[in-house]
Amino acid sequence: MSRVARRRPPVVRRARAGLGLAMLTPTAILLTALILVPVCYSAYLALYRWQLIDINGAKTFVGLANFTHLLHDATLRDALRNTIVYVVVCVTVELVLGFAVAVALYDITKGRRLANSLILLPMIVTPVVTALLWRYLLDPQFGLVSQVLAAFGRPGIDWFGSTSLALPGLMLIDVWQWTPFVVLVLHAGMLAIPEERLEAAAVDGAGRVRRLRHIVAPAIVPQILLVLLFRTMDTYRIFDTVYVLTKGGPGDSTTTVGLYAYQTGFTYLNMGYAMVLSLFILITISVISVFYLVLLRRRGVLRR
Amino acid sequence: MPRQATPQAAATKPAAEPQSRRRVKRHRDWWVYGCYAVLVLFLVWVLVPILQVALNSFKTENDIFTSTPRVTFHPTLSNYHTVFGQLAFLHYLLNSTIVAVGTTVLSLVVGVPGAYALARLPVPGREWWARGILFTRMAPAVALVVPIFVIFDRLQLLGTYWALILADTTFNLPIVIWLMRGFFEDVPVELEEAAVVDGTSRFGAFIRVALPLVTPGLAASAVLCLLFSWNEFLFALVLSNSQTQTVPIGVAGFVGTVSIDWGGSSAAAVIAMIPVFVLGLLAQRFLVRGLTLGAVKG
Repeated sequence: MSRVARRRPPVVRRARAGLGLAMLTPTAILLTALILVPVCYSAYLALYRWQLIDINGAKTFVGLANFTHLLHDATLRDALRNTIVYVVVCVTVELVLGFAVAVALYDITKGRRLANSLILLPMIVTPVVTALLWRYLLDPQFGLVSQVLAAFGRPGIDWFGSTSLALPGLMLIDVWQWTPFVVLVLHAGMLAIPEERLEAAAVDGAGRVRRLRHIVAPAIVPQILLVLLFRTMDTYRIFDTVYVLTKGGPGDSTTTVGLYAYQTGFTYLNMGYAMVLSLFILITISVISVFYLVLLRRRGVLRR
Repeated sequence: MPRQATPQAAATKPAAEPQSRRRVKRHRDWWVYGCYAVLVLFLVWVLVPILQVALNSFKTENDIFTSTPRVTFHPTLSNYHTVFGQLAFLHYLLNSTIVAVGTTVLSLVVGVPGAYALARLPVPGREWWARGILFTRMAPAVALVVPIFVIFDRLQLLGTYWALILADTTFNLPIVIWLMRGFFEDVPVELEEAAVVDGTSRFGAFIRVALPLVTPGLAASAVLCLLFSWNEFLFALVLSNSQTQTVPIGVAGFVGTVSIDWGGSSAAAVIAMIPVFVLGLLAQRFLVRGLTLGAVKG
């Protein structure tokens, strides 16, 4: 895909910088108050050891003790491992499956519009409702999956009661909900490929697979990077389904960093450390995003 | 901002492309049949969970709790009676509506002028503004909810609608700005210039010329804000009280308990899904665009 020439803003004469700044001010105020201030405030409150019940009382200043605890926190290590496994598996499966379905959608001749409408349904379902849908589907006794297994004489599987299957169960839900997003983004990228190139390749005798590999796949690299950026960020912050279905259990087998930060603050009431964990999530997610954003900019997907 | 490079992808709806694009290999070979097979399988996988819960919502407990699935059953509305009979659930629906409409109005009123300034007006450090706003989309709710909780507690906002409306604005406002910026840039600048030459003020050109031309963008942004706010869970979990809890909290309540009311919760799930599907299909063309902050105009 060609590099986008950055459009110079068509600046209307007589426009003064003052008006632009004035129109941006409400946005700046809101985002500062709701994002910048909380982030700075959490950096400050992270220097104290305090419980949720001390919220209005005196707090003990402990310096960087909460931060050094981060380094020896075994639960965080587990949570981080679970989260990384979750991110890597979900993003990989969603990308591979999404690519296959996007190709299928691209190569069919009829019914594309209907397929489009149906495919997007999972990603707009409320995540909590998604959790409920799969809680029923995977129920060890009465779920559809167990009933199918029973038809083959197999016992039902207690997905969310098992330390080895709970995390894969949650991944299954993520794959169900978000593969459609990958399909639609990649499909949009494929529609932008000039037909002449595919026709020329076909005339030259390139088969379906070769055209996919040498024309389609390289052409949609920007969309692939976008999907990677958004899916990595969103799987890293996974919370809703974990909270509803397993609360991190059994044991810590499904504790993710987001859930751990929440539990530290609101279940164990250790607010000082919860602030550190919040910052930890923010910083790690920023590093990941900046990495992708630089890649995207190099490919010319981003302006400048 | 991410932006799709080739303009022809931008406006075309996937279904409405020129017929010639399938000329590459006209005859229906095994490949095309394979594609249909893949799609059908994928659609089954996508639809089965939704259809199952929809069916369950019309079943009695006896029909749900069978180890051998029954193909036929007597549909009943009793589950819906149960759900709508609970005052709590009606309250959840009302709260969700108030919060969703509130955050949508706030995000649009604040975000649309900001988007216009970024698209059209000479703002010092414009790209840095844009990047800063993009960065706020990266800040996840899980990292913000703890400090926001403390701040809202100080301001005595906890348990109010304002708490949820403001919190949901953290993710809706960046989306509105990035989306609307793209829509404003697609408006021919000559129209505004002509209005200014005719004596309209610069701000007047925004209100009277640019704004009416981006009505589809406004509608799309509004629908997406409603959708994302309706689905939001974590802020609602932490910042609401029994008076302001939203639908996702109500649905989560069904799962958390030891014994689950399958029929009732299925009906609740269906009720929660209906507005989402309506909004999602209304905004179908802009859904991916919104989710990628305008990068993909599929």
